[in-house]
Amino acid sequence: MAIANESHQEEKNMHEHHGAGRYWLIWGVLLVLTVVTVVTGRMHLPSFGLLLALVIATVKGTLVALYFMHLSEHRGANRIVFGVSIVFVVLMLAIPMADLGTRFRGANPPGSQYSDLQPPDIGTGAQRGRFGGGLRPHQTKDTPETPEPGHH
Amino acid sequence: MQSSAHTADGTANVPRLAEHFASLEVQNHAARLGMWLFLATEILLFAGLFVCYGCYRFLFPEAWAAGSRSLDLTMGTVNTIVLITSSLTAALAVHYAKEGKNKMVGVMFALTLVMALGFLVIKYFEYAHKFHIGTLPGRYYFYEGMQMPGITLYFTVYFCSTALHALHVVIGMTVLAVAMVRAFKKKDFGPNNYTMVELGSMYWHLVDLVWIFLFPMLYLV
Repeated sequence: MAIANESHQEEKNMHEHHGAGRYWLIWGVLLVLTVVTVVTGRMHLPSFGLLLALVIATVKGTLVALYFMHLSEHRGANRIVFGVSIVFVVLMLAIPMADLGTRFRGANPPGSQYSDLQPPDIGTGAQRGRFGGGLRPHQTKDTPETPEPGHH
Repeated sequence: MQSSAHTADGTANVPRLAEHFASLEVQNHAARLGMWLFLATEILLFAGLFVCYGCYRFLFPEAWAAGSRSLDLTMGTVNTIVLITSSLTAALAVHYAKEGKNKMVGVMFALTLVMALGFLVIKYFEYAHKFHIGTLPGRYYFYEGMQMPGITLYFTVYFCSTALHALHVVIGMTVLAVAMVRAFKKKDFGPNNYTMVELGSMYWHLVDLVWIFLFPMLYLV
């Protein structure tokens, strides 16, 4: 009897069974990459530090997805779902960044790198915060009211 | 709840096949595809926070550099290693489930849970230190040592992303604990019945995957 959702898709998925050694190998590679990213991160490389860290993280993430999550043994729909979600993540990152990078300079928040305006009083001192630091009310008892930001 | 058809010899445990599936293979495929779809939504959930990170970092690079240097890199690195190792034991649990070694499945998940707990304990100490010195989000920030525009935003992003991640750690621990109890008590995982172990393990790998990105973003650059 033919049933609508009958398929032989799964015969190709997850049926190969291999030794546990592969997982230990991936684990070792992940640890090495972690050490590499920490060492290079501590150097505070000027321009390509972020790029390098993200490339290493992407390699690690790919190893986890392919071997720990068995994506390397999957075909079809599972791969498409994962791939498409990554494409959407990239789009979601790229479009707001492109917006910020091309804005009229005055539209950026005051105090930011791409603004000529002075930062407002962000009120972050122990005695000064809008709520006197919020978590330390006892310290603000004797100090005068903090002026609202932007009133000076 | 999947119930298993116990056969006489007790080795060929097979989960119940729902009527609308042509075969067990199709049912497993549907379960796995559903899990991937769910994980895709999880990835996009975290991506929203990554966008916040990217935009504010672009606007306040100095605050981002100062903020990331104020974090405890040793604790962050130890936590990364702990989480990667817990991902290994979760992967090994699936490996043993396919071979029907239920005791090993339970042991592997128990190790994963111990490391997950360790991760949360280290995270607690990091949080406690921040609450103490006052590097907190938004209006609650009161640390005198770093005063610059955008610094409170760094800690908003830090707390939102690590707290959401920690919530996922707790959920993952719950899922793995259920699978662990089943491996120890019902002992019915085997070559035809390991979907629960596999999908629980996939969730745990996602938690690891997210941390692999959060760690360099927050602690290193």
